[in-house]
Amino acid sequence: MEDIQAQNLSDAVLLSEISGRIEKYRMAVENLNSLNKQLLELNQKLTESEAMKSHFISNITNEIINPFASILGLSKSIVECPETDVARMKRMASMIHGEAFNLDFQFKNIFAAAEIEAGEIQPNISVVNIDELLSSLFSQYARELERKNLTKVLTNLEGGDSPILFRTDSDKLTVIMSNLLCNAINFNRKGKKVEISYGRNENGELVINVIDEGMGISEENLNIIYDRFKRLDNGINSVNRGHGLGLSINKAYIDLLEGRLEVKSKENEGSTFTVIIPESAQQNNDYSEEGNEVFFGDEEIF
Amino acid sequence: MTRHFLYPSTMYASIQASEVTTILGSCVAVCLWDRTLGIGGINHYMLPTWNGMELASPKYGNIAIERLVEKMLQLGSKQSNLVAKVFGGGEVIAFSSNIMHIGQRNIMVAEEMLEERRIPIIGRSTGGNSGRKIIYNTKTGEVLQAYIKSNMSK
Repeated sequence: MEDIQAQNLSDAVLLSEISGRIEKYRMAVENLNSLNKQLLELNQKLTESEAMKSHFISNITNEIINPFASILGLSKSIVECPETDVARMKRMASMIHGEAFNLDFQFKNIFAAAEIEAGEIQPNISVVNIDELLSSLFSQYARELERKNLTKVLTNLEGGDSPILFRTDSDKLTVIMSNLLCNAINFNRKGKKVEISYGRNENGELVINVIDEGMGISEENLNIIYDRFKRLDNGINSVNRGHGLGLSINKAYIDLLEGRLEVKSKENEGSTFTVIIPESAQQNNDYSEEGNEVFFGDEEIF
Repeated sequence: MTRHFLYPSTMYASIQASEVTTILGSCVAVCLWDRTLGIGGINHYMLPTWNGMELASPKYGNIAIERLVEKMLQLGSKQSNLVAKVFGGGEVIAFSSNIMHIGQRNIMVAEEMLEERRIPIIGRSTGGNSGRKIIYNTKTGEVLQAYIKSNMSK
């Protein structure tokens, strides 16, 4: 800014000059405020984004690190085991299998959770043999049941010889039932039983009950079981596995299939989880019947 | 032209020209359209904000809208080229409660978040007592809507 000799200026010129400078400073301050606001917005966005990412990471960390540590330790022990001690090696191999099986289960849940959080789940409908799905599930968990000395009971409530054939999403139903069965085993008491009974109700909906004789859930806790981070027995000495992730995935899948989940429980007596799913209308396409009609007449264009 | 049916709690965005159909009750769908690239995306959420407990999915408006905008940017859009159309948020019958109805709250989340991002709402059909079926053309940005007279479940 040129230095202007004050003495030679009229008041009008002086005022005009000062006015101009004030205006320039005002604009600079406005720019600064605007930049500041943008910075705050960006910061907010980054925080939100980080928070969302860390949910996924916290979902997976513990449930992966611990089993892997066990597998590493056990396999090393097998290598160092005297060659003649086959019994010991077998025992450790069996424990490795247990950890790997659990890891497989956790991974399935983690990928399911990621898919759900990305909003990219779709029903994949086919005719499902429910009897086969459930008995196959029980077989997969044979070792887990044995470990806790649990009896398994599978009851088709409709009696008769023919299996129940139901139009629904086989993969998602399997995940839902795996999660419920896993909880029924984990929260059960040694030597007790796990029962799965199933059939169709008067509305034609598929009803599957998973009953355990474990510690049960108190009234206040019934609400928090869907929290994907919480599990009811958090003690260090807890022998239980699994976390809320299973139940929150179940909720999302059951919603997608337009079903519902009911829980009945008595502390120290056990719990009954009931899944109720309506039969799907469409078969194996991502285009519902309702979406298929073309509009004519009363539609509006936006 | 790809055809896609959008289920509740999910979202869809693509560079391919697509006709996306979805059915709304108290749920809200936000359609975003990039007028320069001729691409679009749409979400379908059931509740206004994430409760912090369940999975952080696009079942919740704040997550659904945030993710949809992100997806459009990933597909190559500039936020300044985006426009929005908002649908749904009708009222389910027989609720007498002091809390504002879900439909209204869902609409408000859309209005607030789009305004924050300076994305203009150039078309809308919200509120009322009926369900809606909409078909969104992601290439032209056009949305066809018909009211559903039967009872609302979504």
